[in-house]
Amino acid sequence: MTLFHFFNCAILTFGPHAVYYSATPLSEYDTLGTSIKAALVYLGTALVKLVCLATFLKVSENDSFDPYQELLKALIGFIDVAGLYFALTQLTHRNISQNHKYQAVGLGWAFADSVLHRLAPLWVGARGLEFTWDFILQGLEANANLVFSISLAALGSLMWLRKNKPKTLIPIIYACAGIVATMPSITSYLRKGLGWHFPKVVGFELFTSLVMAFISWQLFSACQRPSS
Amino acid sequence: MSSKNPRERQMLESIYSMIALVFILVTCVDLCDAATVVDVYRLIQYDISGVPFGSRFATLNHHAGSLHFAPGADLSRTVLVIPVRELNITFVKEYISQRKPLGGLLFLLPQMFNFGNREAATEGKYQIREKELMKTVLAELERLLIHANIPYPVYFAFEDDDIDAVLADVKRSDVSGQPATATTGGYKLVVSAPEPKKIVSPSITNIQGWLPGLKADGDPNQLPTIAIVASYDTFGTAPDLSVGSDSNGSGVVALLELARLFSLLYSNPKTRGRYNLLFGLTSGGPYNYNGTHKWLRSFDQRQRESIDYAICLNSIGSWDNELWIHVSKPPENAFIKQIFEGFSTVAEELGFEVGLKHKKINISNPRVAWEHEQFSKLRVTAATLSELSAAPELLESTGGLSDSRHFINETAIVRSIKLVAESIARHIYGRQGKNIQSFADNTSLAVNSPYIRSWLDLLSKTPRVAPFLSKNDPFVTALKKELEDHTREVNVHHEVLDGMFTLYDSTKAKLNIYQVASVTFDLLLLLVLGSYLIILFTFLVITTRGLDDLISLFRRPPSRKVKTA
Repeated sequence: MTLFHFFNCAILTFGPHAVYYSATPLSEYDTLGTSIKAALVYLGTALVKLVCLATFLKVSENDSFDPYQELLKALIGFIDVAGLYFALTQLTHRNISQNHKYQAVGLGWAFADSVLHRLAPLWVGARGLEFTWDFILQGLEANANLVFSISLAALGSLMWLRKNKPKTLIPIIYACAGIVATMPSITSYLRKGLGWHFPKVVGFELFTSLVMAFISWQLFSACQRPSS
Repeated sequence: MSSKNPRERQMLESIYSMIALVFILVTCVDLCDAATVVDVYRLIQYDISGVPFGSRFATLNHHAGSLHFAPGADLSRTVLVIPVRELNITFVKEYISQRKPLGGLLFLLPQMFNFGNREAATEGKYQIREKELMKTVLAELERLLIHANIPYPVYFAFEDDDIDAVLADVKRSDVSGQPATATTGGYKLVVSAPEPKKIVSPSITNIQGWLPGLKADGDPNQLPTIAIVASYDTFGTAPDLSVGSDSNGSGVVALLELARLFSLLYSNPKTRGRYNLLFGLTSGGPYNYNGTHKWLRSFDQRQRESIDYAICLNSIGSWDNELWIHVSKPPENAFIKQIFEGFSTVAEELGFEVGLKHKKINISNPRVAWEHEQFSKLRVTAATLSELSAAPELLESTGGLSDSRHFINETAIVRSIKLVAESIARHIYGRQGKNIQSFADNTSLAVNSPYIRSWLDLLSKTPRVAPFLSKNDPFVTALKKELEDHTREVNVHHEVLDGMFTLYDSTKAKLNIYQVASVTFDLLLLLVLGSYLIILFTFLVITTRGLDDLISLFRRPPSRKVKTA
């Protein structure tokens, strides 16, 4: 029974990644290599972030929101962006169109994030007798994270790979990228500073992810129009 | 632009489907609390000459149910959680005597009986009548459970907020008609305890203190001895909760106070009497006073003959104005008459009555109801002072769950001590019949109430079932040290409890209460997730590859073979 629950939560957490890969043209162009490379870059980024966090961050006794610490965490979070930049621009990809490149990178990034952050708690916790909603909510969070990663990769490819962008849209692109990059800090502020419960935070994440996806999709198609 | 509209609609649709998903999941199972862990105490498991009694199992892994179950429901995989406050004794009796199958029983005791919890124990929330009612209910339940052979685990726990909330939930679901089985969710009670094993060679420890009297110079004869004896161990439904405040904590406290008073008297050679005093704290009381028997056998013939008489103290803590002296020699016997008259004169002066009860010893019957019978079997004059008017049955009045600190009357103990001390002092110093109060209040020999209270408090917090007390148990050492303070010579004898009684261990465990989701919930979740992934797949295919691709996925590739006509 409880292994059943683990299986359910696992397909909720990791299923969408597989579905995304197989449903979109990514599978046709065999971009698995790109995704794997992006996942490895995420691993490296996570290690660097860990070292920085361990060096610069103080361990707080209570669970309150400390603005200074959160600012530091947000700055360290920009290492994420740097990693994504590296994955998008520096790695050699096979000859795939830009459209598919950012999707593959975003997918690999999100998959690595889910596996690293959510597989272990799922394996240890969801197999127990006691039922909690936490793992289902974690799965929904993984879904939101997938959308966020793909949006961030799209905005990143717009920022660094596309040369001719309409002038008016550039600040919007950077603003949206900034919002998506600082999303972890925003959620931790909501949880600790405002005291929101986990379901509410996950709902907020899902909503914002869809909004950001829509906006970045609009921006992407707007930037594509001059060239088409 | 028009191509955007179906895509927008698709996005809205996916949002709606996600909201619907959340709603479906929320309606299935209530939002739950974390797992609860409660200390539970197992019903005693013992054999008398191979005949099994008590609860024979310790591990528990079943769903919780309450008394509101539907009649005719199958309870063989359910644990009934019954608060003692709402106990229906006939129901339990019926279940146990008819040996109906049950997964387990969990009794919830009011916090009043929790001696470990200091704030709850001193709460005066309950009125006297409620307390008395609880005591009678518990006593009856104990009598029923101790003498039954129960093939499933029975546990006791104390009521607290967590377990009360769980019980309320269980009652609600039972009343609504949904039986708690594997497919409808509910609470699962899990106790993982080791298999109960026999306690091999259970040790019983007798402690004796010797206060020598004043021997005149040149007198070769041995001084006569007066013995004061009390058994300190208990036996009850839950061995870890059997503190026996009245049976026989009151006796132990009285013995210690008497030792203290007489040691004060005997410390000065001018007031030392011409009798030796022997104080005995015996173990093995509930088991036909096995310890007393072994202790007496350890004396040699001469020592035993020098004992003038022995007073055994048993349950003197909750009487109002009548005590009983139980003897086995006929009341016409000169010694018995002398002792009884001494006691009743003092009692009259103190303002209460003492009655005499005679019970013949039946040599063929192994049952020893009073401690003095062990003395009488070895031809030592003895009597038991007790508030009980009739001899208790086997394993009755041995300090069970209902015997708690709340039901003890300290003044009763004080009066009993005064009675025994005064009567013995008059016998020693030859002042029978004279109205002299040696142990009056506000003198240096007054009975010390704080001393009594502190020892009674300690006894009411220490479970003392003899086979579970090891040889070096701190409580036994404490008793020994206390006697050493008051008497000259202290000896500790370790014996092994006779083979007729066998007890089993595994008396305390931790109960884990899990809120579990039903199988239907998991299946429904699987269905919802499957449909979500399928929707996501179709959505992505349509948006990125076009509707034709989706349809082509389902159409078989055209056959290559061309059929020849």
